[in-house]
Formats: sequence, structure tokens, C-alpha cells
Amino acid sequence: MRWWVAVAWIDEVIREAEKTVDEVEVYSVEGRSVSAELKQKKINLATISEDVGIGIRTIRQGRIGSSSTNNPADWKACLKAAIASGELATPHQWGGLPDPRPLPGAPLAFDPSMHVEPSVARDFLARMLSAAEEHEADITGGSAGLSTATVTLANSRGIRYTDKRSGISLSLEAIHNQSTGYEFDHSSFVDEVDPETVGERASFFACESAGGNDIPTGNYDVVLSPLAYAELLGGVFIPALNGRSVHAGRSRLAESLGREIMGPGIDMYDDPLLLHASGSVRWDAEGTETRRIDFVKDGILKNFAYDLKTAYRYGKQSTGNAVRGNFGVLPSIGHHNFVVGGKRDAIGDEPVVYVHNVVGAHTANPMSGEFSVEISNSFHANGESFETPIRSAMLSGNVFEMHKEVVGMSKKTRTIGSMIVPSIKLRDQQIIGW
Amino acid sequence: MPAIRYYDLRHVTGQVTHIDIDNGVVESAGTSFFNKAVLRVLTATGWGILQIDNYFPGKRKFDDLLAEASRLANITEERVTLGDAAGGVLPIPPMREDPRDVDIEEKSSLLAGIEAAAVDPAVTNRRANYIERIERIHFSDSSGIEYSYELCRSGFNVLAVASRNGNVQMGYEREHSIHGFNLRHQEDLGRKAAGVAVALLDAKPVKGGKMRAVLDPELAGVFAHEAVGHASEGDLVAEGSSVLKGKIGTKIGNEILTIVDDPGLHEFGFDPVDAEGVGVRRTEIIRRGIINEFLHSRESLAKVGNGVAGHARAMPGEPPLVRMSNTFIEAGDSTEQEIFEECNNGIFLKGSRGGQVDPGRGIFQFNAEYGYLVKNGECTTMVRDVSLSGEILTILHGIVLLGDDRRMSQGYCGKGGQSVPVSDGAPHVLLLDAVVGGSGVD
Repeated sequence: MRWWVAVAWIDEVIREAEKTVDEVEVYSVEGRSVSAELKQKKINLATISEDVGIGIRTIRQGRIGSSSTNNPADWKACLKAAIASGELATPHQWGGLPDPRPLPGAPLAFDPSMHVEPSVARDFLARMLSAAEEHEADITGGSAGLSTATVTLANSRGIRYTDKRSGISLSLEAIHNQSTGYEFDHSSFVDEVDPETVGERASFFACESAGGNDIPTGNYDVVLSPLAYAELLGGVFIPALNGRSVHAGRSRLAESLGREIMGPGIDMYDDPLLLHASGSVRWDAEGTETRRIDFVKDGILKNFAYDLKTAYRYGKQSTGNAVRGNFGVLPSIGHHNFVVGGKRDAIGDEPVVYVHNVVGAHTANPMSGEFSVEISNSFHANGESFETPIRSAMLSGNVFEMHKEVVGMSKKTRTIGSMIVPSIKLRDQQIIGW
Repeated sequence: MPAIRYYDLRHVTGQVTHIDIDNGVVESAGTSFFNKAVLRVLTATGWGILQIDNYFPGKRKFDDLLAEASRLANITEERVTLGDAAGGVLPIPPMREDPRDVDIEEKSSLLAGIEAAAVDPAVTNRRANYIERIERIHFSDSSGIEYSYELCRSGFNVLAVASRNGNVQMGYEREHSIHGFNLRHQEDLGRKAAGVAVALLDAKPVKGGKMRAVLDPELAGVFAHEAVGHASEGDLVAEGSSVLKGKIGTKIGNEILTIVDDPGLHEFGFDPVDAEGVGVRRTEIIRRGIINEFLHSRESLAKVGNGVAGHARAMPGEPPLVRMSNTFIEAGDSTEQEIFEECNNGIFLKGSRGGQVDPGRGIFQFNAEYGYLVKNGECTTMVRDVSLSGEILTILHGIVLLGDDRRMSQGYCGKGGQSVPVSDGAPHVLLLDAVVGGSGVD
């Protein structure tokens, strides 16, 4: 195949490695991206980024070694470093890298019409700025970025997979009377982002949140927007589903398999094969074929996520959840498209505190799930219909316990990074007023 | 092709060595390599920037790269002026022991000793990481400034997780340095991590509300970073994203309060010269309670004034941004005992799990690792999962006593998708009317 000629050197790496180690895997990325950034309403800078890198993983008698470099021509030094690193690692139970499978070749998250050109980024910025004029906020900054990349995975068992990926991301920041608004959108497909909504919402939240009142300390019914919910979910809950954390004693959910851990009607799953979702991929970062994994079904904890190394160590099967943040890091356990689903009817229209965003979600305790975050762009609301803005307050709770208090989920979902989540309504949450 | 008014090239090569030990098992260890460059070209209408992986001088004609970058500026629309700033490169402090002189087997064995020290019957998981990052930086610009230096940052983290009846808590210690290899004789930090994790199993969640708070030097340093540092970054001030815009000369705190950022300090955020070739200098953001200077790049200096350039920093291959380096509250003259006596009834907060700020709104939040309720000037019940939030423009008036014991702690700070090494520090601080968040109830 034509694409393979360009990376024929990978076969050389594999032949060379096999002289010394039992197995070898080569992960290669080559990409191009452009972005344009606003300073207030003017484009201040434009960037082209050319990315290239390889990661090599070797296995000899259960010892896993790794190294990476930006310079594919220097693969010999990289391979040597990977083999040396394997000598230091403690040997693991290891059942082999995956064999090749006849997977469909068509990429799931690639838009052939994505033109990675500065002028395209400029046009998206103009559309966001134009839509932002609907409200009288000042624009402080924004960006538009486009990218394409080719990812190649090869191993000594014969896997030769390649995948094309593309991405577009937009963001806009606004301010009005010391009230800030921020909105963003991203997709793998250029026609699936909505610059008008990004622009309008950024300036809307800045204006609508201005002049807020204090809220007395107390317990309130709360609606978390998809953004606020994803912030808490991503930092605390999802890592607790990681099989490595579970077996290492770092997950609060370790003893909960088969038990009800949240209200009935809530499902959580990873669906790597969702059409047009940006995390969609047919094989994971180790070449294991991906499939839907149900973590929580109707409130019951059903599965944890595994990569090969963790699965072999604990007598499990890989769930196809190996991911690589970039070529320079080892594969680790993650997810592709994490979906919160289930009975998503409506949020209702009862009085609630609506929280659009939170400040400081990453400071939540990843073990216990406890958090105290500052809320922002928050309103007294009837369901998702805003009434009056709230100036400042903290929301305290526990990410795990909170899921037992979910009393509603919105029909509509939103993609936040690699999570696809609804708004959730929670009964009786603790708010600390200023 | 738009005419070029200025360019600079920052090329960074280097290597990262890491060791990861998890419950006595060496999960991974080894070395990776990187080579990244960023070329910035300034035209009449703004910046064109090329970010290039695997850069080799001469591989492509430099004039072609300049032309490609300047063509990008076809879409830019802001006339950027660069403020004047003096160059100059500080000497790199010598390392007590160069990590490259220690073989990785010995590093691994020392790290394993720290990790093993975190053992305790209630500890269900121990994890220790070593990271050593060597960067060789070469900078040149169109005005003829050129410099090269090499800097090594290394250090470790140790985590202990304790668990009892579904209650899972953690203790976390770290030490990172520019002064060389630091894995020797550090078992105490492993023991400390385990001790904190186990003690937290019996700690109570705090009940939120307004109260007096004593912050330890680590947490008070994060406070300075989140509550003041970010809002003083000149790019945010220029965009209108900082509540400190237009506030130079305004009294924002008591006279005892001076907050400084100093990239030249030999701490973890040390830079011998900034990422656009400007000499670094101590900047007093707040001097005796008054907003005094902002942190600047050459661009934000020209736009905003009131401060000095020399605060531009960048990850390898990324364009420079205005960043903090070593940020701290200057020590005062109170003893720890005086601070606790003056607090009388309140809360003592220790350690940090990080924080975040919305500088435009002027609101920040940060989190302590643990704390103690203070009753009659004495620490009593241990509490966990405590956050503080506040308003930049009012909270500093609440700092009424500063200890005489400033200490710096190391960490990383994120902004614009880039993470850079920083240190934060302070003495013990007494803060009145702190808004404390916690999930405890009466």
C-alpha cells in the first residue's frame, strides 16, 4: 500500500529489534496544524506546527522497555535506549502483543475536506466575532486551530495499522463588567463545529453573569452543565475505572464491581466506534481491536478498563482501552469516547442553582472524590432557564456520592474533549456563599 | 511576502529520563530524546510562527523558513511593538552532583528506597517517580542577540494511598531541584507521605464557611501564585483579562505585604535569561501593599508599561508567553506561635493540591492537602479536603501577619497549553475572613 512505503523504515526497526528482544512495537505520528489567535478582536499571531515523532516499545522475557524521539532517522539510538530501559524494568507476566486483524481501513475521525490553512482559521475567527456582537461584552481573546495527523502502529506480530485523524477547535473569551464568559467547540469534522454558537455564548455568559448577587450558604438542588459535570467526572470518576488503579489500590471503586454505585437509569460506557466522534478509533494504542465497554449499566458497576500489561498481570482481557497521550509516553489505560447515557428525559423546570462552569476541579481528591470548587457563570434558574446571576460561591461534595443523587439528565448531550455528557440535576447539594 | 521587522529562533534539544516504581515494581524506566524549535517572525501586522519538530540548522534554508513564517502574517492584523529590554545571561548555578554521573540502576535503587519507606499496614499503594530533564537551549534573533545554555532539572514524587472500609486517602511528597541529583537520603519523605495518608483516614471533612486561616508556606505560596501572580501577567492585563488592569499604585493589601516574582532566583523556576533573549530581573508585583509592577514580555511591556520584560517563558518548541517563575510573599517578622495565637480560633491549612484563577473575574480557588482546626491558638482535629476561594481585589487586606520563615516549593504551572517549572513560596500567613469550602456538616 502506498502509505506504507513512506514508513518502510519501520520494518527495519522491527528486524533490528528482533535480533535482541522477543517483541517490538513502533508507534509513529506525523502531523501538521495551524492556528490563529486573537488578542481582543484582532488576530495577533498565526502558527504552523509540524509534528513528528516515534515511540518504540520492546519486550524481552516480560521486561518492557521504551524510548522516543522526534527524529525517526535516529531510530537506532532510540531502539538501543528502549532495550536498555527494558533491562531495568521488573519482569511482568506477558502474553504477547496482538496479532493483526482484518479491520476496516476507513478512518473514523478524519475529515478529508479539512484544509489546514491559516485562511480557514481566520474565517472561523471572523464568524465567532460576528456572532459575539449579539451581546455587548468585550472580546479578550480567542483561537481557531486545524490539524491533521497520520498515526502508524506496527509490531513484530505483523500488525501494520495506520489511521488518519483530523481536528478543528474553536474558543472565544469575553468580559463584561468584571464578569467573564468562555465558550469553545471542537470536532474531527470541519462542518460539525458551530462558530456562531461559540461566539454568541461567550459574550452571552459574560453579560448575563454580570451584576450577580451573593447566595446564602445552604443546600440547593443543582444543575451542572455538561462542561461543569465533565470537569468533575474527568478528574476523579473516570480514573477510578482504570484497571491499573483498581488492582493497585488507588481506586475507590475497587471493591464495587457488580454493585449499585449510582442511581438506576444511569449508564456509562466507552464507545470507540461512534460515528463522527473525535475519539473514535478501530484499534487502541497497542493494536487491540476496540469495542464498546459498559462500565456502568443501570447504576451497576460492570467493568473496569484494561490495557495488555494490566490484563496479563491480573488475569484479565484487554478491553482495548490503551491510549497514548503522545508518541513520547508509554501506552496507558484511558478511554476513546466516554459516554454518560441512560434515562435522559429532562431536567425539569423547578428552581435550581445552574452551574455552567467550575474553577479548580483538578484540585478534587482523586482518591476519595471530595471536592470544593468555585462556581462560575452560575444562576438561579428554573431548570435550564436562567433567572438571576450568582456572584460567587463554592460547591462542595463528593464525585462518587453525587452520582447517587442524580435526579435528572438532559436529553441533549455535549462533547467535552473525549467525554460525551448531558447536564445533570442533583438533589440537595452543599453551596457555601461568600 | 510581508516584510520582516524582527525574528527569533529558539531551538531546544535534550533528553528526559524517568523511573516509575509502583508497589515495589519498576513499571518503567528509561530515556527519551527531543528536538524542537520555534521560529517567530514579526511583520507589520503581527506574528507568524513556525513550530518545528526535529529541527536541524541548514536542513532547510533559513531564508525559506523566514519566508514561510512571514507569509502566515498575511492573516494577522495587529501592529505589534516590542518594548526595549536589556539582554544578558546569568550563570547557571553549579550542581552539587550531576545526575548524569549516577547510573540509572543506582537512581532506581535509591527511588525504590524512598518508595519502600512509605510502607504501613494501612497503606494499600505506594508509588514513586523520578524525572530528570536536560535541556540545551540555543537562541538567536535578528538584532544579533545569541546565547546557549544547558539546564538540568531533576527530582521525585512519592505517593502513599491508605485505605480502610472504603475510605481512601493519600499522602504526597515531592522535591525537585536545579541543584543536581537529590535522591539520596530522602526516605523521610516516603515515611511522611505514608504518615499523612494514614492520619487522613481519621480526619474529618471540614464544614465550610468564613473563618480565620493560617496557611503554611507551601499553601501561602500557591495563594500568591493564584491570587496575585496570574493577574499580574502583562498579556492578560493588555487583553483586559485581569482585574489588576489600571490598578498600578492602588493599595490592595496591608503594608506588610510584598509579593515578588524573580526568575533569577536559584529555585526550580530559574531561568538564566528569558525565552526572547531578555535579561531576567526581580519584579515586585506588590510592594508594601501597593500594586507596583506587572510581569512582561517585550510585547506586553510596550502595550501596558509598568513593569519589566524578562518574564517570557516557553516549553521547547512553543512560542513564549508571559509567565511566573519563582513567586513568593516576602517574609515578615512574626513567629509561628504569634500567628497561631492571633488566629485563636480558625483553621490551619497545609500543603497544596493546586489551584486555579479566573483573573478577569478576579476569583481564585486553591486546595490544601489537609489541615487542623485551631482552637485557642492550638491545632486540634485533623481535617481533609479543604479549599479556599476568594476575590483578588479584596482578599489581600485580610493578610494581617507574616511569619519570618519563608520556604519555597516546586511545581508546574499551566497556561495556554504549556506547562513550565515554577516555585512558589511564603512564610506562614494569617488570613482573616477566608472562605473555606468543605463537605462537612455539623
